[in-house]
Amino acid sequence: MSIKYALLAILAERDLHGYELKSSFDHKVGEFWSLNYGQIYSTLDRLEKEALVTHDREMQEKRPDRKIFSITPQGREELAEWLATPVGKIRALRDEFFIKLVFMDKDDPGPLLALLDKQKALYLKQMSKLTQRKMALKKAAQGPDSLTGELLMDAGLFHAEADIRWLTLCEAKLKAAVDRKKTSKR
Amino acid sequence: MIELNKVGRMYRQGNREVHALKDISLMIGKGEFLSIMGPSGSGKSTLLNLMGGLDQATAGEVFMDGRPLHAISDNELTLIRRRRIGYIFQFFNLLPLLTAEENVGLPLLLDGLPFSEVRPKAAALLRQVGLHDRSEHRPEQLSGGEMQRVAIARALITGPAVILADEPTGNLDSHTSEEIFLLLRSLNEEGQTIVMVTHDPKAAAYGTRIITLKDGTLAEDMVIGETAS
Repeated sequence: MSIKYALLAILAERDLHGYELKSSFDHKVGEFWSLNYGQIYSTLDRLEKEALVTHDREMQEKRPDRKIFSITPQGREELAEWLATPVGKIRALRDEFFIKLVFMDKDDPGPLLALLDKQKALYLKQMSKLTQRKMALKKAAQGPDSLTGELLMDAGLFHAEADIRWLTLCEAKLKAAVDRKKTSKR
Repeated sequence: MIELNKVGRMYRQGNREVHALKDISLMIGKGEFLSIMGPSGSGKSTLLNLMGGLDQATAGEVFMDGRPLHAISDNELTLIRRRRIGYIFQFFNLLPLLTAEENVGLPLLLDGLPFSEVRPKAAALLRQVGLHDRSEHRPEQLSGGEMQRVAIARALITGPAVILADEPTGNLDSHTSEEIFLLLRSLNEEGQTIVMVTHDPKAAAYGTRIITLKDGTLAEDMVIGETAS
């Protein structure tokens, strides 16, 4: 859904060829979101049908014409509205780890507790790497682009922190459940 | 720099023995920034207090610069605590009636140095932590982040071998916390050894090494970045 708006936002800055659109997209959000040319062109097709984007043909010697895309006034209007609208849904619970949690044996929690530990250590290591990159970014550059990059890394850190806290809670609740079972058997 | 050899800390509660720490062996090298993680009650602060000579192990040995903290006189221990270790606490522990500069200089003043000698050092450290324009302010006139910067400058004034920090940003918002960690990290990059206790993974991630305690034992030990030399 938001590929559409990302492309509109890039075209709102200036008119671009399809391949320029892709490289601009990669530059701005490529770090956490990858697109292929097929997705770009099919999205542009749809945007043209909705009259949010138009194109001109650019003649080239010895090569087929190139399309150069631009955003329409209607496209700008829709983009502005999208940008100003908060996102209504929280992140989906379709993480691979959640699936494992569903299928792991809670009556014999040893393997699950070990998995929780390993998962936490992994997230912590990722957070360290992200923090190092954030510090490098802060040192290397100033400006709106580096601020955006820093804020996105912060988002990654906060999400990972939430995951670690949740894993810690899982551990505490699992252990409490095991203890309760032991006591009731006595 | 700091070495723990099979260290334990046991408390008695009535007839019961409570083991806050069990069989911890750990070497902390010069230039490390070690984060100690773990849930509340896992023994994090107890471990930090043992390293800083604020508490005594009931088993094992603790060495600081090769000197056995478990087997030296109280006077020697006091000197090590005052001159070789800088402490940073969650609630800053500044003296309310003293200015920022006086708070920073306090460890040297307690050691008997004249204020005329201490003052330029305190001023230079306040500059280093970005507070040169706050030297005459009292703690109540400072924000939380500024108070912690003063506390960091105070911890640095003796040129300590190690800085021990216990939840240094537990009382600060995320942005202010980040600035404190960046400051600690830059000190570490200049070679300062730091040991920090935290329950916040975002904070721990600034360390070059992270250990995790669980029920008083060492559950995880991972080295992340290279150590400043």
